[in-house]
Amino acid sequence: MTAQPTLSRRDFLKTAGVGAAAVTATCVLGSQASPALASGPASENGWAMLIDTTRCTGCQSCALACKEVKSRPNPTVEPTALSSEAYTFIDLRPQADSEATINVKRQCMHCQHPACVSACTVGALRKTADGPVTYDDKKCIGCRYCQYACPFGVPTYDWNNPLGLIHKCDLCVQRLAEGERPACVASCPAGALHFGRRTDMIAQARARIRSNQRRYVDKVYGEHEAGGTSMLYLSGVPFSQLGLPELGEQTISHQAEAVMAKTPLVAASVATLATGLYWLLKRRDLKLNEAQVTLPQEDSHGH
Amino acid sequence: MATNLNIEQPSSSAAVPLLNRRMAMALLGLMVLVGGLAGIIRLFAGLGRTTALIDAYPWGIWIGFDFTLIAFAGAGFTMAGLVHVLHQHKYHDAVRPAILAGLAGYVAVLLLLVLDLGRPDRFYHFIFFWNIHSPLFEISWCVLLYTTVLLLEVSPFLLERINRPVSEKLLRVSHGIMPVVAVVGVTLSSLHQSTLGTLYLNMPHRLHALWYSPALPVLFFVSSIMAGLCLATLAYGGASYVLRRPAKRAIVDGLLRLAGWLALIYLALKLGDLLVSGELALIWSAGAYSAWWWLEMSLGLILPLALLFIPALRRRPWTPVVAPLLLLFGVMMNRFNATMFGQILQPEVSYSPHLLEWLSTIGIIGAAVMAWLLGVRFLAIFEQKKAAHE
Repeated sequence: MTAQPTLSRRDFLKTAGVGAAAVTATCVLGSQASPALASGPASENGWAMLIDTTRCTGCQSCALACKEVKSRPNPTVEPTALSSEAYTFIDLRPQADSEATINVKRQCMHCQHPACVSACTVGALRKTADGPVTYDDKKCIGCRYCQYACPFGVPTYDWNNPLGLIHKCDLCVQRLAEGERPACVASCPAGALHFGRRTDMIAQARARIRSNQRRYVDKVYGEHEAGGTSMLYLSGVPFSQLGLPELGEQTISHQAEAVMAKTPLVAASVATLATGLYWLLKRRDLKLNEAQVTLPQEDSHGH
Repeated sequence: MATNLNIEQPSSSAAVPLLNRRMAMALLGLMVLVGGLAGIIRLFAGLGRTTALIDAYPWGIWIGFDFTLIAFAGAGFTMAGLVHVLHQHKYHDAVRPAILAGLAGYVAVLLLLVLDLGRPDRFYHFIFFWNIHSPLFEISWCVLLYTTVLLLEVSPFLLERINRPVSEKLLRVSHGIMPVVAVVGVTLSSLHQSTLGTLYLNMPHRLHALWYSPALPVLFFVSSIMAGLCLATLAYGGASYVLRRPAKRAIVDGLLRLAGWLALIYLALKLGDLLVSGELALIWSAGAYSAWWWLEMSLGLILPLALLFIPALRRRPWTPVVAPLLLLFGVMMNRFNATMFGQILQPEVSYSPHLLEWLSTIGIIGAAVMAWLLGVRFLAIFEQKKAAHE
């Protein structure tokens, strides 16, 4: 086969360009093919829960009701932490100056812009327009990135199962569809849990603070934290004593999402730059070669 | 012919020979065997019984080594880019050992990832279930596609060893598409090497400010090129050593010079980032975090920079080996700091890897080294035929 270096070089060049274009197109198309799953407009009026920690007696009724509804193992054992066995529990926090504990119900916060949803490799976690952050156990690959993205330490993994999955509260999305309140709310005997639309819950929380300023700290935790959550807390002591993290108003995933949005641009730039440099430097080499004596170049094909 | 110098020729070189080679292979084989067994036990027994991982510490040494290996395996795209895209043909001999190391690295990464997944049986799900906001989604795709690129780049090494008409034809095709493959490889690598840094942007509440930075994608990208150049240097030296060919001084020196400049840029970026964010004081005041930072920076960046830029040290015969090793150590420490030591934990949380985590990791890395050595031995690693470039 006689090689025609110049021609094949041109071919290389063309193919390189086509390759770069293909990468670019794939990225651009890819970015359009899938709508914004992670941070679509969160409904301000999705379902929400107001948790009045000053009314909670720490009876763990909610935790046991949850276990029953979610068919968790050891249904009568009161949980002391979130786990694959318990999607909610009441954190009984000792106080320095009192016998009584501060009782803080913990569960998924159902963020307005959940970092777990943004991080999930396969889109198994989703923020529904109606409020709940749901989990598709058919998609999950168990990478556990959500555990790192969640600032509340909510998603838990089923470590003892060889085919373990992520577990967390889904706000009883099934019961909601059937017109019922979440199991924890329905089971609370102390009137500490209120359920309704988010704007209504915030209004109710504000009204409570206004009407009883000695009982409550003037803050609704979850109204703005990490971009807002569907779980809203009232407290009689500074929130730092509740074990809830101090978070700014920015969503957790805003920086990562901003960078990820540039993926097509980065791909296109690198591919174009690489192709351009390939072409320019190739030309330079060719010119250098032309300047020299024409050397036999077919050596490579003879044996 | 360029001047060929033996640059890393220990006096015992004439005596490294079959016996040692066999012993090395036997040792590696043992590692692979034990590691493979550990991996199988893990797959059947689940993560809880075979690792020290817990909900408060869900990623351990598997992920640490994974992200380290991806940076090291940057040797593949760095060298393909340098020679096939930027036409720096003087490095030609160093391309193949680096690309082979890249492939071995990425296959090791895939194996480690499968062990780490809670549902290893679903490793392919990212192909069907998309989340374009997820750094891990992008990384998964890039690793899949880039491993394919590496296979294409490695295929000529094998084809040149097969004297059949069909391999001749395939080789011509392979030479024809190589520039495209190299451009695609560089693009895919730029994406996922930087996205590994983006991954940590989703944990501002967990990663200590000494490492957390909006510049993480850039830092990860630059350090992967630096690590790539270092591994390429060692791979070239190692392959020359195994095949008992003299390593060309010009290649080793050139690669190390490039690595040195990258290291200087990386150091400037690391310090500049802390300076701009006003967090530079943390290098003294953050207790254990400061100590980890200094281990990473002093042994893994400042010392090798001294070796590479102070002429008296640069001339030492061991510098071409020690300097890249130290820089690689620095990149490894960086990935481990981001994944493990730089994580902000509740005081009661701790993690000390399970024996099976160690054994499986060692086994998989051993397999990668073994595969690379066998590849060097049996594939066309220093081309005999003149290739794509005139």
